[in-house]
Amino acid sequence: MTITAALVIPTGTAVLGACVVLALVAVAVVALTRRTDRRVMARLGSSLDRLGLDTLTTSGDSAGHSSGDASLDELLSRIEQTLRRSRLAGEQELGAIGRLQEVLDTLPLAVMVVDASGTILERNIAAGAFIDARHSDALVGALVNELLAESLAGRPAERTLELFGPPRRAVDVITRPLGVNGMRCAVAIIEDITERRRLEAVRTDFVANISHELKTPIGAIGLLAETLQAEDDPEVADRLAQRIQMESYRVGRTIEDLLELSRIEVDETRVADVVEVGSILDEAVDRLRPAAEQAGVVIEVLGSELDDSLRCDRRQMVSALTNLLDNAIKYSDPEGRIEIRGAVGAEEVVFSVTDHGIGIPARDLDRVFERFYRVDQARSRQTGGTGLGLAIVRHVAVNHAGSVDVESRLGEGSTFSLRLPVSLLGSPPDPSPKEPQ
Amino acid sequence: MPEQRKSFHQELDEIRDQIVELGALVREFIPRGTEVLLTGDMGGALALIDADDEIDALTLRVEEQCYNVLARQQPMASDMRSIVTAVWLTGELERSGDLMVNVAKAARRIYGATLDPRLRGLIERMSEEASRLISLSLDAYVERDASLGAALADIDDALDTIHGDYIEAIFDAHSADDLGLQPAVQLALVGRYYERIGDHAVNIGQRVQYMVTGWLPEQTGAARLRARAAFGDAADGDPSAEAPSDHEPIEDHDRPGEGPR
Repeated sequence: MTITAALVIPTGTAVLGACVVLALVAVAVVALTRRTDRRVMARLGSSLDRLGLDTLTTSGDSAGHSSGDASLDELLSRIEQTLRRSRLAGEQELGAIGRLQEVLDTLPLAVMVVDASGTILERNIAAGAFIDARHSDALVGALVNELLAESLAGRPAERTLELFGPPRRAVDVITRPLGVNGMRCAVAIIEDITERRRLEAVRTDFVANISHELKTPIGAIGLLAETLQAEDDPEVADRLAQRIQMESYRVGRTIEDLLELSRIEVDETRVADVVEVGSILDEAVDRLRPAAEQAGVVIEVLGSELDDSLRCDRRQMVSALTNLLDNAIKYSDPEGRIEIRGAVGAEEVVFSVTDHGIGIPARDLDRVFERFYRVDQARSRQTGGTGLGLAIVRHVAVNHAGSVDVESRLGEGSTFSLRLPVSLLGSPPDPSPKEPQ
Repeated sequence: MPEQRKSFHQELDEIRDQIVELGALVREFIPRGTEVLLTGDMGGALALIDADDEIDALTLRVEEQCYNVLARQQPMASDMRSIVTAVWLTGELERSGDLMVNVAKAARRIYGATLDPRLRGLIERMSEEASRLISLSLDAYVERDASLGAALADIDDALDTIHGDYIEAIFDAHSADDLGLQPAVQLALVGRYYERIGDHAVNIGQRVQYMVTGWLPEQTGAARLRARAAFGDAADGDPSAEAPSDHEPIEDHDRPGEGPR
């Protein structure tokens, strides 16, 4: 009975082999209790040999094919050893299957294997999302079934599904026919390629944008200078010179911002100054006051009285808020209103800038923090920004273990929030903090 | 016998899965059509109009399967209601898909017109609400949640409110000479399409209520009519007799949620 219990554990081929052995044992026991017939013993022994167990023999004299002489003890020990081996092999097999399943489950891909009737033989955790799914996932499930049917007929298949969501994503489904032990089945691999696509877009757009931002003004300067050389009319020459000056300022600004951005990227650990929350707000607003007045926009400051001290890189923090304010002014209607707010909460310190301007289309919201990303190319050119402002803001936030996010609605305005952890509050252990310059 | 019941229930599950797929296709149409409209993507408009064929084909397939099961299995009670509901739902969903095709066609007609940010924002919001309502109605269907089905009518109020603001924004834009008459009319229709999708979601909610409880909101009205008729017979020829139900304000559409009787 103990043998039977042990045999329950292994699976697959091991079980099959062990069952045969068990049957043989039963025959042997019955036979041996009735009469110790040597011939029966001999047949038993040769059966074991035929089953390929001869290589497993332990005793020296039965190494050959004369197992008919093997004693009962010897036979039993052979059987026992064989069982032990097969159990061990079964356990190893189980262990390997378990490990494989674990590996499959850690994959970011969804994997499933189905047989010819469409029954799922194997699947990992990620594939569970597409079984009995609803909404967008139901469409992925339907496509998987369609392609699996094709692969069960022997053809590999592959398709990308664009889902409008929300959230918007792209999913790749790949199916291949499999022939495990002659059994017809197929495997489906489902991969969410949304992030990969986004990164590809970021990369290609970045290259296109940076060359545009730098080459356009430089090309213009070259042409203008050429024209200037051949120009006799002082009035026209003056105008051309002015244009050259304007374009060179523009390149200058872009390069300055690029340098600032790379400085911030390098400066990851520098969180040295201790500043009052309110004074950061005041300084940023003071810098932008003339621009706001020129645009006829009113800036309302909330929280400038906050005297909690914040450990941060003061220059970076002011630069981040200035960039947010600068954007808010550019995209506000004349006579518009902007609120800049500082708030110290239980978990985070939040600086937010709210405008009531044109807003940002929903599909651009998660891309506005990219370098040179423009929602509206034409308009951005007019406003004269370098396209790096929000990338700078994001890096400042990251340097301070914080984050920046935006909520916006077209035609209603946008709110950018710069969130910093409260752990930055309070004085540093260093007794001589740097004075704000 | 148990074997046959099992296959019957499998058929019911299959019908449900297909309705879920149909719903998912329609739900995808909403943000997709909105993007076509807001970006003026003519290729996208054409692709969407073509993709509607897929919805039509699936609708036909599900309907056929429903009739098939009805004819072969002659189901009773809740099984019967599940299938009847599925047939109803195909109609509601297919129509919602058609409405987004209308949006795509409108995008072609207003091509070149500039929409001010306020209008665009309101269109985005209507689209989000319509898509949310369709999602919720499908959730109610799959989970057989009659109370969620009943709640859809109230949830739809948000879409109606945005629709109202949107119409106002069209008037404002038109009177400020920012929007020509032709695009203004097209845009007003577009607003109506989104609003109608919300109504279809409310209908789905009501059908789900019927599937679960066997009760339809129309039954309240029918009961009122019967009561009126009975009362009219009793007070023969006296129209001024008080019939309390007569004096109740008549609603646009009967609200579900008054509970099954």
